[in-house]
Amino acid sequence: MRLHEFQEQFRDLMLDAPEALESPSEGFAAQFESGDIPLPERLKVYRSNIVGGIAETLCKGFPILEKLVGADFLREMARRFVLAHPPEAGCLNLYGRGFDNFIRAYAPAQGFPYLPDMAALEIAMNEAYYAPDDEALGAETLAGLSPDDLGALRLALRHSARIVCSDYNLAVLRAYCLAPEGPIPDLRLPCTLLIYRPNLEVHLVPLTEAEAFMLGLLQGGAALGNAAERIVSDHPDFDPGAFLQKHLTLGSFRAL
Amino acid sequence: MRETARPSFPFSDPVGIGLRYPYYQEILDTRPAIGWLEVHPENYFGGGLHRRFLREISGHYPISLHAVGLSLGSAHPVSEDHLRQIKELVDLCQPFAVSDHASWSASGNAHLNDLLPLPYTEETLAALCRNIERTQEFLGRTILVENPSTYIAFKDNAMSEAEFMNEAARRTGCGLLLDINNIYVQSRNHGLDPFAYIDAIDAGKVGEMHLAGHTERPAGESVIVVDTHNCPVRDAVWDLYEHAARRFGRVPTLIEWDQDFPALEVLLMEAAKARRILGAAQEVRDAAA
Repeated sequence: MRLHEFQEQFRDLMLDAPEALESPSEGFAAQFESGDIPLPERLKVYRSNIVGGIAETLCKGFPILEKLVGADFLREMARRFVLAHPPEAGCLNLYGRGFDNFIRAYAPAQGFPYLPDMAALEIAMNEAYYAPDDEALGAETLAGLSPDDLGALRLALRHSARIVCSDYNLAVLRAYCLAPEGPIPDLRLPCTLLIYRPNLEVHLVPLTEAEAFMLGLLQGGAALGNAAERIVSDHPDFDPGAFLQKHLTLGSFRAL
Repeated sequence: MRETARPSFPFSDPVGIGLRYPYYQEILDTRPAIGWLEVHPENYFGGGLHRRFLREISGHYPISLHAVGLSLGSAHPVSEDHLRQIKELVDLCQPFAVSDHASWSASGNAHLNDLLPLPYTEETLAALCRNIERTQEFLGRTILVENPSTYIAFKDNAMSEAEFMNEAARRTGCGLLLDINNIYVQSRNHGLDPFAYIDAIDAGKVGEMHLAGHTERPAGESVIVVDTHNCPVRDAVWDLYEHAARRFGRVPTLIEWDQDFPALEVLLMEAAKARRILGAAQEVRDAAA
């Protein structure tokens, strides 16, 4: 058997149902020395390292999901995700993209309608945690600019910045999971969050609808003045100056 | 054939431990007397807290970058994106050695995140050597390649594992990272003589040795030895290490511990034991020379 064929067959067996290990195809099994340890026992060591190991690493990125559904439920859901969407890279730090959509279709999770969005929030937080280092844009950089130059400015969000929207109040639910006090909060409030890492820790900032739209336009490459004009026409109350001040203070923009 | 550049190791203490998250702060605060630190580059891809600690700690200790994700034994080429990220860390910490394994993890678009076994054939050797050479060219330096621990063995092996490792080193100029625990695991799982394995390795190629704990698991009527890195080095492995130290000399040696982390003190005690064995073996070598 050629090397690539062996590797493909081994990969497929590892990502198959667990019982497939009990009866690998004759052609596959014939390659190996038998000895006194049965082949399925030998293959199980790999299966457990691969599927168990990747699922365990994945679970570590979803501490709120674990609180919501319990460790066993999360581990089983993670295990099934690993089999359906194995990692593509030799580093697992960013593995887990798509777990939210997988959960949306995962039958046992249908009783938790807010679960996929919470997964999306935790994916964004994990990506922000490992995002490339960068510096925040300081207010002093903009201090000397004429209004025209300021309007023409194209601002980029930090490498770590992600915006997550949900029909459920994820920020409140997350806070409740971390410190469950008082009555269970009302989750049926839409919520938009900026997730970013100003330095070493990941921060969550609630955004208004206009603010999120404005950040999206800037992220898409719009000049500051053009983006502000567009937002103000839809949201007359939107104050571009206050917006800019707030996000310079937060450090949401990347240094020029 | 190329000349093997055995990595230079200009430091007085040849024994190192793994840099892992639970020890970051303590290592910075207490600066334990240890020769060097081993780092899995994959834990430091991207930015943030881990990268920050690595930057700071690598200012105080020599670093060996021990990759686990290159999949050198895959039938397809090693990932350039992975290489690029390792190169970034090579530039950051100027390691005295860079290594990965004689194993595979990736097939097609799936990366299985484990060090998987290879048949020891001419075809495999050619594939492995191509990937070692690609890596060495990309990084602009020779690497070390580690012997694996495996749980299955192939019937149509054309050579022994030791011959396979020697030949990869001979063809590519890479050095060997000899994992003594892995040799023990192989001896138990596949019925090999571990001392003969060590004696068969080209002495001039060995640039680093690894020591780790393993676990025995019931398997049918028998026992399978699993390379778990979650407990102290076993006595039988210390015996093998003594044998290896006499054969290879004062080679940089790592105490590996990757799960169920103990107090840092425990790792330092294991390191002290390795240091004593290396020192005693060197005296025997000196006396013989």
